[in-house]
Amino acid sequence: MAVFRRLISGIRGLVRNQQIEQELDDELRQYLETSIERKMQSGMSREQATRATRIDMGSVEAVKDGARDVGWESIVEGIWRDARFAVRILRKSPGFTAVAVLTLGLGVGANTAVFSVVNSLSLRTLPVTDPERLVTISSDFAINRGFTAGAGWNYGMWQLLRARLDAFEGGFAWTPAKFNLAERGEIDSIDGLYASGDYFSTLGVQAILGRTFTAADDVRGGGPDGAVAVISYRLWRGRFGGSRDAIGTRLVVDGASFTVIGVMPPQFSGMEVGRTFDLTLPLGTEPLINRAAAAIDEPRRLFLFIMLRLKNGQSADAATAAIRSMQPEILQTFSGTPPPFLKEPFTLVPASTGTSGGGGAPGLRQRYERSLLTVLVIVAAVLLIACVNVANLLLARTASRQRELSARLALGASPRRLARQLLVESLLLATLGAGAGLVLAAWASRALVAQLSTSLDRVVLPLPLDWRVLGFTATAGMITAILFGVAPAIRTLRMAPMHALKAQGQGGGSADTRTSVSGGLVVAQVALSLVLLVAAGLLLRTFDQLTNVPLGFDDDRVLLINVDTVQAGVDPAARNQLFHQLVGTVTRVPNVAAAAGSLWTPGSGAFNLIVDARGRATNDERRVIANFVTPSWFETFGIPLQAGRDISERDTAHALPVVIVNEAFVHRILPNREAVGETLVDSDSAILRGRTVIGVVGDAIYGSLRDPAPPTVYIPLAQSVGLQPPGRTTITITVRPVTGPPASVASAAGAALIATNRDVAFSFRTLADQMKASIGQERLAAMLSGSFAVLALVLAGVGLYGLTAYTVSRRRSEIGIRIALGARGADVVRMILRRTLWLTAIGIALGLVGAAFLTRYLEAMLFGVTPMDIWTLAAVSLMFAAVATFAAFLPARRAARTDPSLALRCE
Amino acid sequence: MTLGVKQSGLVQGTLDMLILKTLALEPMHGYGIGVRIEQISKGVFQVNAGSLFPALRRLERDGLIVGDWRPTKNNRRAKYYALTTKGRATLKRETRDWEVQSAAIARILQASPGEA
Repeated sequence: MAVFRRLISGIRGLVRNQQIEQELDDELRQYLETSIERKMQSGMSREQATRATRIDMGSVEAVKDGARDVGWESIVEGIWRDARFAVRILRKSPGFTAVAVLTLGLGVGANTAVFSVVNSLSLRTLPVTDPERLVTISSDFAINRGFTAGAGWNYGMWQLLRARLDAFEGGFAWTPAKFNLAERGEIDSIDGLYASGDYFSTLGVQAILGRTFTAADDVRGGGPDGAVAVISYRLWRGRFGGSRDAIGTRLVVDGASFTVIGVMPPQFSGMEVGRTFDLTLPLGTEPLINRAAAAIDEPRRLFLFIMLRLKNGQSADAATAAIRSMQPEILQTFSGTPPPFLKEPFTLVPASTGTSGGGGAPGLRQRYERSLLTVLVIVAAVLLIACVNVANLLLARTASRQRELSARLALGASPRRLARQLLVESLLLATLGAGAGLVLAAWASRALVAQLSTSLDRVVLPLPLDWRVLGFTATAGMITAILFGVAPAIRTLRMAPMHALKAQGQGGGSADTRTSVSGGLVVAQVALSLVLLVAAGLLLRTFDQLTNVPLGFDDDRVLLINVDTVQAGVDPAARNQLFHQLVGTVTRVPNVAAAAGSLWTPGSGAFNLIVDARGRATNDERRVIANFVTPSWFETFGIPLQAGRDISERDTAHALPVVIVNEAFVHRILPNREAVGETLVDSDSAILRGRTVIGVVGDAIYGSLRDPAPPTVYIPLAQSVGLQPPGRTTITITVRPVTGPPASVASAAGAALIATNRDVAFSFRTLADQMKASIGQERLAAMLSGSFAVLALVLAGVGLYGLTAYTVSRRRSEIGIRIALGARGADVVRMILRRTLWLTAIGIALGLVGAAFLTRYLEAMLFGVTPMDIWTLAAVSLMFAAVATFAAFLPARRAARTDPSLALRCE
Repeated sequence: MTLGVKQSGLVQGTLDMLILKTLALEPMHGYGIGVRIEQISKGVFQVNAGSLFPALRRLERDGLIVGDWRPTKNNRRAKYYALTTKGRATLKRETRDWEVQSAAIARILQASPGEA
C-alpha cells in the first residue's frame, strides 16, 4: 500500500512539477518571513534578524533540494535535467563532441558489423515454427568433417524411412541443386532445392501467394497438377515483377516444363546458411530434369539429406534410439558396401540455426566462422582503444571544467549529484556513438558479406536488426560509457573545491594524478595496438605466402567452360563420345591455342575418388586422386611432362589401358622404380587395375593450397566409361587462347558448343578467378585484420598526440622559462619527447609480451609463418615507434616555438 | 543538539515522531512546529529548516499529515499541517514503542554490576 501511495505521489510530482515547485517556494518564503519577524520581536533590527535567519537556514537551495529528494520522482527529474544540461554542454564544444562520437561510432560500428554477420551465420535461428525441434541425421564421420547437413542417403533409404515417420512428428528429405532457367546456350543458373512432399508442412512455412506443394505433388513425374514448382520471394519480385499472375505460369527448368504454384514468404530462404533457394521442386520431379541420369533411380547416388521434427517433448535420446533402431533395415536397402559414414550409428544433430555444408563441400559456416570470430576479437580490442581515447579526452575536459565544477560544489551541490551529471554526459556520448555505430554497421556488414561471395558462389546472408544485434550494440554502448565515464566521475567525487578554485590547474596533486592515469591509459593503448598489428601482420604474411604457393600449373589466361549435357539425355557411353565431340569443336575455334577436357580441374577444391594405391577406399592419409582427361590437357594447364608421353587419340577404349601419374605418386607409391612402363597389377580398384604407366607429369594442387599436392593419376577420358561417378553429366573444357584474355574466346566457344549439340548448357569462368576464390577466407581475414590494425594504430597515435599536447600545455610556463634562459628548440623537443617515447617503449614491450601469449591462438590459421615470427615482430615494433615519434613530435615542435613572454603571462 | 536527517535512522524516525506529537496538540505551519519542539524540549532539540522540510514532505507523502493553506494571524498565507487519522494511529503506536525502548535502555543504564 505504501509503495502504491509513493508511486502516485511520484507521478503527481512529475506531472504537476510547476505547481509543487511554487508551493515549496511559497512555504519557504513564509518560513523565512516568520523567522525574521520572531527575531525582530525579540529585539533585533531587520537586518540582524535577516542575517541570523539566513545563517540558521543555510542554503535555501539546499533545503529545497532536500525536500525535493524525498520522492523517487526527483531522481527521474534530476536525470532528465542532467540530460538536457549534457546536451547543452556537448553542443558548446562541437569539436570535442564530433571527435568523441566519431571515435566511438567507428569502434561500436565495426563491432556491430562483424557481430551482425556472425549472428546471421551462426546464431540466428531459422524463421520457421519451433526450430529447436528440428534435427538432421548425421554420423560422427560427417560431424568431424564439419558437414552439418549430415550424411547422404539414397532414394531407397528415404522411401523406407518415410514409411516409418510416425516415430517423430514429421520429416523430409532434401538436396540442393543448381537449376538452369535458360532455354538453351549459356546457363542462367539459380540455386534451388529438391524436397520431398512434407518439406513445407514440416517446417511450418506457408506460401504468401498460391500454395506450397504437398505429398500429393511429390510423385514421380509430377502429381495431379503436373510438375509444380515453388519460387522464392526474391525470384518472384525479380523475374515475375511481383505480379499475382505468376501463379500458374510455365517455367522451363533445365529444358523441362514446370508450373509455378506458390511463392515463399520473404524471410524464408531455405535452411542452408548463406544460400537462398530460389526454386523448390518436389523430389519426384527430379527425373524430369536429370533424365537418364536421374538420382532417384540410382542407388549409388547418396544425395539426400534428411531433416526430422521431433515430437513435442520427445527427448534427443529417445529420438536417437528410434532412428538407430531403424538403421539396420535402412542399410539393407543399400546394395554393396555402404560407405563409412553410413555404417556408423546415426546421430541426430540439432538444426535450429540452419545447416551449412554437405555433400563433400564445406559450407559457409565452416569456411568463415573461425576467421570472423578472430576478427570479432580484434574489433573488440579496437573498441577498447577507442574508449581509452575518449576517456583521455573526457579527463582533459574535466580538468578544464574544474572551475565550473568547484563553483557548483561551493554553492552546495553534492559531489554525488555532480558525478551523476558527468555520468549522464558520458551516457549521452555513448548513445550518440552507438547510434552512429549502428548506421556505420548497416553499411559495413553488407560490405563484409559482399566480400564473402566469390566468383563461384554468391553468398546471400540476410542481416536483420534483430534483438541480438541491437542488444549487442546497446551493451557495447553501455560498457564504453562506463569505461570512459567512470574516471572523470570519480575524480569529481574527490575534488576539493578550494584547490580547484586556485590557480588554473597548475601544480598540486590532482594534475599529476591526471597525467599518470592518462599515461597508464596510453601505455595500454600502445600495447593493445601492437598486439593487433602483430596479428594483422601474421595474417597478411599468411595470405602472401598462400598466393606464392607453387601451383604446379599456369593459371594465367586459362578459360574454363563448364558444360552440362544433361538435357541431351544420352546414356553414359554416348555421353563420353559427346564429351569428346565438344572438346574437338572448341579446339577448332580460331584463336584457340589448345583445348582439352576433364571431369575435374586443379584448384576447384573438390575431388572425388578417395582410394589408396591399391584402389581401396581409405582415409585421407594414403589417398590418391584420379582425374579423367583428354589429350593435350596438360598442355592447356601448363603442367610439365617429366617423362614418357601424353595421352593421345590412340588411347581408346579398345587399346591398352594406360594411365599417367604425377611425381608425388611416383615418390609415394613407386619409389626406386622406373615408373614409365610399369603395370599396376595388384590393384583392387577397377580404376587402376592393369593399367600401364605411360608418362609422369608434375604435381598440381587440386584442393587446399595449404596441403601439398597429392599423388594423382590421370586416365584417358576415352577409357573411363563405367568408371565415372554415376550421374555425372558435366565436363570442364579448358581453353588457352593464342592471344588476348581468356574471355575473348568465350562467345566463339559457346557458339561452337551449341552448333555441336543444341541441348548443352554451359558457363564460363577463368582459372585465375577459381584460384582466387580458394583462398577467400585468408584474404578476408588479412584484409579485415589489416584495416582494423591500421585503425588501432591511428587511434593510438591520436592518443599519444593528445597526451603530449596536454603535457605541453601544462608545462607551458616552465618551457617559457627554459627558452628565456637560453634553451634551444632541440632541447625542448627532447625534453617533451622523452616522457612520451618512454611510455611508448613500455607499451611496445608490454605489447610484445602480450603478442607472445596471444598469437598462439592464431596458429591454426597461419601458413608459412610461425606465431613468433621475428621479422613480423620487428617490423611492427619499428613501424609503431616511427608513428609514435611522429605523433609526439608535432606538439613538441610547437612547444619549442613557444614565445616565452606569452607563456609566462598566460596564467 | 541539532536533529539532523543525515544522522542515524533512529534520529530521523524520532524527528518524525516529534512532529506528529506537536501536530497532535494543534495544527500549525513549519516554522511553528520547529519553535514548538524547541520550546517543549526546553532548548535541547533545535530543528533547522534543512531537516524539517524533508521530514514534512515525507510525512505528507506517507499520508500521516495533510497540508492546507490558510491565512496566519498576520494575514499572510501559510501552509498549516494537521494529523490525519492514520497519523494519529501511527503516533500512538510509535509512542508506545518508544516508551518500551526507552524503559529498557534506562534499565540497562541503571544496572549496577552484579544485578540480574
